[in-house]
Amino acid sequence: MVINLLNTLIAIVVGVAGAFVLYWLLNKLVELLPTKWEERLKPYAFILPAFAVIALYLIYPAIQTIVYSFANAQSTAWVGFSNYTDLLGSPEFRQTLLNTLLWIVIVPAVSIILGLVVATLADRLRPRAEKITKTIIFLPMAISAVGAGTIWRFIYAANPKDQPQIGLQNAIVTKFGADPVNWLQLSSFHVNSLLLMVIMLWGQVGFAMVLLSAAIKSVPVDTLEAARIDGATEREIFFRVIVPQIWPTVITVFITVTIGVMKIFDIVYVMTNGNFNTNVVGVQFYNELFTNNNAGYAAAIVVMLMIAIIPIMWYQVRHFRQEEAAR
Amino acid sequence: MRRLSWLRAAVAAGAAVLLTAGCLSSGGNSGSGGNKNTGKTIEIMMAFTGPQATNFEKSVDPYAKSQGITIKWSPTSDFNSLINTRVRGNQLPDIALFPQPGIMRDIVKTGKLTDLSTILDINSLKSSFVAGEIDAGTANGKVYAIPVSMNVKSIVFYPKQAFSAAGYSAPQSIPDLLALTDKIRSSGKTPWCLGIESGAATGWPATDWIEELVLKYGGIDQYNDWVNHKIPFDSPLVNQAANTFSQIAFTPGNVAGGRQSIAGNNFNTAANPMFVNPPGCFMYKQGNFVAQAGGFPANVISNIDNTVGVFPFPPAKAGGENPVEGGGDLAGLFSGNNDAAKSIMKYMTGQGFGAEAAKGGTFLAPRKDFPLDNYPNQITKDIAKIAYTSTVIAFDGSDQMPGAVGSGTFWREMTSWISGQTSQANALKAIDTSWPKS
Repeated sequence: MVINLLNTLIAIVVGVAGAFVLYWLLNKLVELLPTKWEERLKPYAFILPAFAVIALYLIYPAIQTIVYSFANAQSTAWVGFSNYTDLLGSPEFRQTLLNTLLWIVIVPAVSIILGLVVATLADRLRPRAEKITKTIIFLPMAISAVGAGTIWRFIYAANPKDQPQIGLQNAIVTKFGADPVNWLQLSSFHVNSLLLMVIMLWGQVGFAMVLLSAAIKSVPVDTLEAARIDGATEREIFFRVIVPQIWPTVITVFITVTIGVMKIFDIVYVMTNGNFNTNVVGVQFYNELFTNNNAGYAAAIVVMLMIAIIPIMWYQVRHFRQEEAAR
Repeated sequence: MRRLSWLRAAVAAGAAVLLTAGCLSSGGNSGSGGNKNTGKTIEIMMAFTGPQATNFEKSVDPYAKSQGITIKWSPTSDFNSLINTRVRGNQLPDIALFPQPGIMRDIVKTGKLTDLSTILDINSLKSSFVAGEIDAGTANGKVYAIPVSMNVKSIVFYPKQAFSAAGYSAPQSIPDLLALTDKIRSSGKTPWCLGIESGAATGWPATDWIEELVLKYGGIDQYNDWVNHKIPFDSPLVNQAANTFSQIAFTPGNVAGGRQSIAGNNFNTAANPMFVNPPGCFMYKQGNFVAQAGGFPANVISNIDNTVGVFPFPPAKAGGENPVEGGGDLAGLFSGNNDAAKSIMKYMTGQGFGAEAAKGGTFLAPRKDFPLDNYPNQITKDIAKIAYTSTVIAFDGSDQMPGAVGSGTFWREMTSWISGQTSQANALKAIDTSWPKS
């Protein structure tokens, strides 16, 4: 334990000092050059190490993944597009894509709506009550997804009929004389996927609430007063004065949650491992790589995910630039 | 300017692709394993944890100490993922105890495991081990792993007092077993407990049922053909097995909690209703390992010889050939040039190994010459006898199949079928489709 701590400490010190020395040396080297060249090269001296690290740890693996997605399970021979056609041709994988799509459509939208509702209502409470409400709603955010899964297992747990029910929902259901329900096996209308989304929402609403609440509080009071004087109703004030002013925050929250949802893995892995038609892309990727030892399929799945994320990234960058320009 | 920067980015990306493209990995080397460690400290990785692991360690550590060897034990409940990751990253342990030969054979393809015939006397091992156990560690005609522990799965537990009080007796054939099931059900009681939930590994107990029935209906040769996919899943043999299973599991009134409870019911605790009065069920088919802490309730385990009985899963016809299904942990050697690791391998496969582990009640030895007196209770002795006197042990089929099937689609499709998301025919076809092509 002590040794581990010391190692961590040394790593941090050496790392920070090393980076400092590197930049200092580069700077000195550039300063040795004639003034004209010094001015030309100095920006690169500072940006190149960072760029090299990104290239090595991000761009190179990304390209290697794309390359492997056209190779066989052991990455030893080319197979053309067959990884993609195999995957897209299998009904299970299409269901996996559909489930992921449901997550993407439902979770970000619902977390924003709920976050907005909580933020708006809490804003009207007395300061003390507001703090307590927000703390409670924010609390699940601090719990890891695996921990959340364990907690929710106790809510969805189902024991066979006539045995004591340790699951909260089944304890309630059986109190009213009904048979216990295997919540996570209710695959019609993707009810079980929705139940898994509840876990994600439980964690994400607090995040949305905090950011949106801050945005609502920074809406200038004079705009609200002006609207009231002009005879606007509370609803009109909310939708036509507050929402437009916090819209940039809404977009930011939306994009952050969407990207988080596209990578969703832990909740599904812990709760069902993708059984009962709750599979999502992240879990399927993991199972292809680590259970099925199929690096080709795994890489192809990741590439599809990358392609799907590109439009969102593009939108975010554009949105960010507009924000900058408006400032 | 804008266009120029796009052009530059495109050129840079193109150059990067050219630089990295074609960098496919080369096939593995073969021979003496992938771990170059030659020191006296070796790492052993295994898939069992808790008391099972401590008991096992107690059987090895004294010997290692006497040889001046230090063993770093790495027990993990996520063995398959971890060993695959470590093989991929070349962070190899010295010895790994594989619970599934299928995973071991996948790794043999990378050339990182050692051919054991140069280190151990395979022929003498073959004659002293339970028949079939050495075959489980064989790939391409060479032995890469030797079982160091064993489990027996062809057994059915029953509540001793209530079972005999009701006048039931151990069935002699599968039709007998079905008749007994009907008899218990028609008397208003529940014949079976059944649960296949096991976290991320959910479904394996259902594959054990299918394997058991395929083995009994088809015999060892057809079983092996099926395991190697010479007989497909969508075949009369496997369908016959699946039909019998569905008759037992899906007939209303046969299973405590009904069909819908099976997939959510944990295999370790599924049998607990058996030990209340009156029993919630009368039969539970599972490996010997449920009869220990974490499985059956503590008060049952402390008094196991009086509360629990066990009969072997019956053959298809009374008196017919009756191979036994089992499993085990197979020791494979990654550092073939390490004398310390080699001597531990010899010790773990030697005569009498495991006495301390056996006394802990969590261990069955795979050697026929293991003294039965080491087992702590009658039920363990009975289970060991079922294995030692069997004509042949068929190693757990799903554990031998390629990982994509044996711990992938076979588990998954059985779970889907039992919980009603897919049909028997579609499930079996889907497993066939998922069988790796090469």
